[in-house]
Amino acid sequence: MIARLTPYAMVLPIVVFILAFTYWPILVSFDLSFRHWDFMSSEKPFVGLLNYSELVRSVEFWNSVTITLIFTAISVPLRLALAIAIARYLTTESKTVRALRGAFFLPAVTSSVAIAVIWSWIFSTDAGVANALLNNLGIAKVPWLQTPSLALWVIIIVNTWKQLGYDIVIYVAGLQAIPEDLYEAAKMDGGKRWHTFRRVTFPLVMPTTYFLLIVSVIESFQIFTIVDVMTQGGPAMSTDMMVNMLYRTGFTLFDVGKGSALAVLLFVFLVVLTVLKSRILGKRVHYEH
Amino acid sequence: MNTSGVLLRTTAVAVGLLFLSPLLYGIWISLQTANGFFSGNGEMTLQNYVDAVEKMNFLRYLFNSLIVSGGVTILSLATSIMAAYAFSRFEFRGRDLIFGLVVATLMIPGHITLIPNYLNFAKVGLLDTYAGLILPAVANGFATFFLRQYFRGIPRSLDEAAWMDGANAWKVLYRVIIPMSKPAIYAMGLFIFLGEWNSYVWPLIATDSPDMLTLQIGLARLYKMDAQEGLVNWPLVMAAATLTMLPVLLGFALVERHLVRGISMGAIK
Repeated sequence: MIARLTPYAMVLPIVVFILAFTYWPILVSFDLSFRHWDFMSSEKPFVGLLNYSELVRSVEFWNSVTITLIFTAISVPLRLALAIAIARYLTTESKTVRALRGAFFLPAVTSSVAIAVIWSWIFSTDAGVANALLNNLGIAKVPWLQTPSLALWVIIIVNTWKQLGYDIVIYVAGLQAIPEDLYEAAKMDGGKRWHTFRRVTFPLVMPTTYFLLIVSVIESFQIFTIVDVMTQGGPAMSTDMMVNMLYRTGFTLFDVGKGSALAVLLFVFLVVLTVLKSRILGKRVHYEH
Repeated sequence: MNTSGVLLRTTAVAVGLLFLSPLLYGIWISLQTANGFFSGNGEMTLQNYVDAVEKMNFLRYLFNSLIVSGGVTILSLATSIMAAYAFSRFEFRGRDLIFGLVVATLMIPGHITLIPNYLNFAKVGLLDTYAGLILPAVANGFATFFLRQYFRGIPRSLDEAAWMDGANAWKVLYRVIIPMSKPAIYAMGLFIFLGEWNSYVWPLIATDSPDMLTLQIGLARLYKMDAQEGLVNWPLVMAAATLTMLPVLLGFALVERHLVRGISMGAIK
């Protein structure tokens, strides 16, 4: 009898943790999104869909949705294109190549805060190296992070630099899984390099591309740290992503209901994407080896 | 070595250094005096590190980060190892459902739990404590999934031999499975440690008093306060940033291969 209970005892701790700190909070978020609350008052009146309707009628919400969409629409294709272009040269297993892959990968596991601070210096108006380089070309100082039309680009550059190594590593694994004889066949057919890439490499690495596409879209919608350190959503809300708005609404303005409504909207959207991911990966990714 | 080998190596070194130049530049600035940095006369010092540690409380933040990352690593490994063992070796009712619930946490975006966790921890007085920082990060779906895969690869004949000797499930786990999986467990431990070390959103929300901040939050505060005043002491900030990156920079060479293998495995599976 005791022996039969042993497996339950072994999974119990992790089950307690996921229920207490993941699944229960999700339910609480849904509940709070239908209430009005400021963290303080003893009452949490039920207000129906009021938080949601206020949200979708606010400029702030659509601004953060738009900024997040622009950020995602630019940075995801940029990351994937750079990653596949670089990964093609890094598929062999020599010491040199492995070290270079490591160099590309390092920022992906390095502190986002430290990276954001370093890049804030690079793009700082007076002391930064970006303006120093431009100065050599005779171009006047640019206030990168204080200009609404430029700050988002800086965020995109920093995030791309940080995440690129992850994409490269995944692409390398995908490329290495392509059977060598397919390249041989393309070569025999007299395929030019670009031709081989377009007709052989690119289609065969499609599963990896799908995977990275969805993973990086999901991840882009959750960007927070780099923005919080570098711009806090500014200047003039030009870098205000959805999670930054969520943080401000919930923890600076103490509007728990609206913050939760925002969290729920983003959550539902990301879960739909995740389900889509498993569907796509389940169906389209397999080629016979 | 032939010419093309030398050429390849030189190109690789140049590309790698260029790509990492922001980090290297940051570290280099951390070694300059404020005067040296702003006037460009290249005066070098270690004083920034001394200042960061003594005046800016960074020793305390370093200590906090070690406690929190260490605590999360130990508890994550313990809960994941036990669960992974049960999932890989036993048939029991509800197994697949429970496994599904654990692995699904991997795909749940973390922001949805922030407000409720904050409220719950405030209610029980765990904000601004190590427990408050550690507990929400313990359950680790990736570690459980990864270790289950690894345990499945260990031949069952080894378990059975131990069972024959009269061992029970806990003894088999302790005497057979864990010793056989040491490399995977170490790699996963480092992976968890580094991930928690870099964690930002939850510590930002769950801490407030200067003595409870982790390195990430301490660094962000230091930089933001300077930036608001419009005058950043870059060498000092870079010293703080370098301290914050230190375990990753030191541990990276050790774990890079494991990290890469683990990540690629997760993607290709």
